[in-house]
Amino acid sequence: MSIVQFDNVSKIYTSGDHELHALDHVSFTLDEGKFVVILGPSGAGKSTLLNLLGGLDSPSEGTITVSGADISKLSDNELADYRASTVGFVFQFYNLIPTLTVYENVKLISEISKNALSAKEMIGRVGLLDHLNNFPAELSGGEQQRISIARALCKNPKILLCDEPTGALDSETGVMVLKLLLDMAKNYGKTIVIVTHNQNIAKMADVVIRVKNGKIRSVEEQDNPLSADEVEW
Amino acid sequence: MILFRKLLRTAWSYKAQFISMIIMMTLGIGIFLGFNMEWKTIEYDVGRFFDETNYADYRLYSESGFTKDEFDKIASIDGVDAATRYLSVNLEIKGEGKKSLAVDVSENYTVSTFTLMSGDEYDENGDGIWLSDKFAKLNGVKIGDSLTLEFQGVDAEVRVVGLIKAGEHMICLADSNQVMPDFNTFGFAYISPAKLREVIREKTLNTIADELTVKEQAEAALTDGMLTEATDRAFPQINLISDLGKSELEDAVKEKLGRTLMVVSKDDHTVYKEAMGEATEGKAMGSILPVLFLAIAILTMITTMHRIASKEKTQIGVLKALGFRSGTILLHYSFYGLFIGILGTALGGVLGYFVCKAVMSEGGMMGTYFDMPDWSAATPAFCYPVIAGTVLLLALISFLSVRAQLRGTAADALRPYTPKKMKKSFLEKFSLFGKMNFATKWNLRDLMRHKSRFAMTLVGIVGCMILLVGGLGMRDTMSGFLDLLDTRVSHYATKVNIVENTEREKVDRLITELDGDWESYSGISIDGYTATLDVVHNENGLFSVIDEDNKEIDLRDDGAYVCLRLADRAKIGDYIEFSPNGGNETYRVKVVGYNRSIMTESVTMTDRCADALGIKYSVSAVYTNKDSEEIPSSELISGKQDKQLLMDSFGSFVRIMDSMVLILVVAAVILGIVVLYNLGVMSYVERSRELATLKVLGFRSRKIGQLLISQNVWLTVVGVILGLPAGLGTLYWMLTALAGEYEMKLMLGPLTYSVSILLTFGVSILVGWMVARKNRKIDMVEALKNAE
Repeated sequence: MSIVQFDNVSKIYTSGDHELHALDHVSFTLDEGKFVVILGPSGAGKSTLLNLLGGLDSPSEGTITVSGADISKLSDNELADYRASTVGFVFQFYNLIPTLTVYENVKLISEISKNALSAKEMIGRVGLLDHLNNFPAELSGGEQQRISIARALCKNPKILLCDEPTGALDSETGVMVLKLLLDMAKNYGKTIVIVTHNQNIAKMADVVIRVKNGKIRSVEEQDNPLSADEVEW
Repeated sequence: MILFRKLLRTAWSYKAQFISMIIMMTLGIGIFLGFNMEWKTIEYDVGRFFDETNYADYRLYSESGFTKDEFDKIASIDGVDAATRYLSVNLEIKGEGKKSLAVDVSENYTVSTFTLMSGDEYDENGDGIWLSDKFAKLNGVKIGDSLTLEFQGVDAEVRVVGLIKAGEHMICLADSNQVMPDFNTFGFAYISPAKLREVIREKTLNTIADELTVKEQAEAALTDGMLTEATDRAFPQINLISDLGKSELEDAVKEKLGRTLMVVSKDDHTVYKEAMGEATEGKAMGSILPVLFLAIAILTMITTMHRIASKEKTQIGVLKALGFRSGTILLHYSFYGLFIGILGTALGGVLGYFVCKAVMSEGGMMGTYFDMPDWSAATPAFCYPVIAGTVLLLALISFLSVRAQLRGTAADALRPYTPKKMKKSFLEKFSLFGKMNFATKWNLRDLMRHKSRFAMTLVGIVGCMILLVGGLGMRDTMSGFLDLLDTRVSHYATKVNIVENTEREKVDRLITELDGDWESYSGISIDGYTATLDVVHNENGLFSVIDEDNKEIDLRDDGAYVCLRLADRAKIGDYIEFSPNGGNETYRVKVVGYNRSIMTESVTMTDRCADALGIKYSVSAVYTNKDSEEIPSSELISGKQDKQLLMDSFGSFVRIMDSMVLILVVAAVILGIVVLYNLGVMSYVERSRELATLKVLGFRSRKIGQLLISQNVWLTVVGVILGLPAGLGTLYWMLTALAGEYEMKLMLGPLTYSVSILLTFGVSILVGWMVARKNRKIDMVEALKNAE
């Protein structure tokens, strides 16, 4: 059953007289519960695609449907509600609030979501119960990213969106975070979309979408994706 | 050249900060210069005018007048450069309702003279009158017009021959009860000694005729000797120009005349004292308000330049990596401070000039107080190094901010600025902290993390409160004071001033006729300190003496009341000793209470008490409920003062006060907006990444806006709590420094408290809203791109 549908979506950025087609008439669908990797070089349009799906930006043309609802023409407040209820984000640079402790960063979600899961439980799941009262700056990059995953899942979203989640980590920590991300997504039954230029991550995906120059080059379903341990990093 | 272009473009990219720093510098320099120019200009212009009109250094008083022989003796004292027998008497203008003039006569036209604005030069044998040009203008009097003056029962018709201004009447007040000149009803004029002699001749003839019943016989009976004697009596004053010290002069006078005289130096003469008082008040104002503004400007500069330098760290690193020397980079960035300093100083100079002119010009605030021909603008010399120092300090602040970012290698400089790591603050030790909601914790930690920004914001809010409470409270207190004067102290319709040393029987007859109360005031010395002895008889309740709490005192007869300003000289129950000026007697009286004296520093007692002590006094004024027009002029009345006209004359005083309050309120609002907006924008920029994260997580813009505004609101609560007592303290200090001549009590109405608090909150919420609005346009994608 499809959860995401992009229908002829374009995104054009205007700078003076110059127009940049970040996405050019893109169409695809994603099924629920799948692990999707969007792959492409820098400037291909993959982050734009993720931002549109995440409700951070609106398309210039076309429609985006998520769980049967059109999100392409929502108002600012409707988009905020959409982000609060439907999608969880994991960023390359974690984006934790530096003035809140680990616990407060995750607990923050209960301020905007009625369906929020227990913050403590989520922190326990990522193995950082010992650091509840630490500030982000007191944690390593890997630990911060684990908190970021806990915060994203605490919302109990339908889709987890990750923008280069291992980009700022060394490869060993990156693998560990990736494993955790996939395990958690699987345990909680979430659709997961990762944007990356790392070919190795693509080997683990159910679906690989290749993007170049703002267009979809291919949508490839992999019947036997590798586990993180099987991939040569 | 390219670096200069970069400088301009970078300045433009931080325009909110740059504009606010320039505004703060403009305000700081403008107010500093304005207030200091004001007092310097007073000293300069007033001093020049006094020199031009030969303003006397000393005034010698003799109740019985001065003979020519006595005058010659005084004029011959070594160290006396010039002297004149002098008369200044308040006369009513006949047929002009309640208008009157202080008419002056100077026998020697080298002392206490005037500046001719138009008409004939002074002529010591002239028949005309030289009239105040301001009085003439307001009353439609022109050169060639005639006025009839009532001089102790004699009508003297005089033709206006010249329009003038005079140092002796630069502050033209009818008597010590009047606070502000009112040229509509009271002015001044000079007549020649010859004209005075003519009027006195007429008066003397009338006196003789009263006795002989036939005027023609009186003409024959009047001798030169009688006329000279009458003229001598008419000059109760000798004005001197002399560099002698007061005690030296007193001794020399005693030696020459064989008796003590009341000697008043110009420092104690109302006009000089008030003018110099204004300069002193200007100095006091110049030392607090500008310091507040300059300090806030410099602190804002430090905070802002540090933030800008932090944000520019990568740019600084790029320049260093490209091979620019540290010196060149430092010079480049120091120019930001220099640029702000120079532009702020230039604009501040213009503002300062206008502030000075708003006070010191013919159409300005002092224009209604001082009456003088030339209004300039003078700057105290110390202002130049202070301003130059401030500009250099700003450049130094830029220099030091950038130097901190330049430390280490080029690679170090290239790394983006990392804010301080978050640590647990002392607040978190309290269990209450754990129970606070997310927004409160977030804001509290943000404040703890950015202490200088937090402190600066508080300074801005407290400054705003001080200006509002100070300005509005000053007006409340002054209005309360005037209301007190109107409703609690003065219950009469007319005050009749009595010619000095009039026979008591005649005065008693007048008191009975007018059904009045009366008062006697005379100069006394308490251990060498000059004060006034106020003997009162107020059985009809036409005027009251009030206590510290503004309640009427039912005066006791067994002792004296000491005014609050003299309270430290004697406790209740103690005895004080005093001597009348010019007399050798000493009186000792028990202090039975303190009173709030409206004008003079005084010792007050009932006539029964004074009689019991054997004090000699003469009635100075009679208070009555009769209208001034119902009271016929007579030889014992030197002038009449309508209470309503007196209260109306306070109107212009209140208008000056209103414009000062308006300036303070506008300054408070500008200060609040500029400081809070600058810091608000800085706070917003610093937190933009956090705000973007909240937005990505699904927080609505409105909720994020509330988060930002709530920080402002809480800071305002703290600022108001600190600002209210600070404002009251400043107001108290200002009242002591600016109105020390009155015994005022702080009287702040609920409206002042409400307006000050609401306006401060209004400014804070408005600025919070302006900053929070930016949040709607935050680019989530852009804000989240880079690592912190």
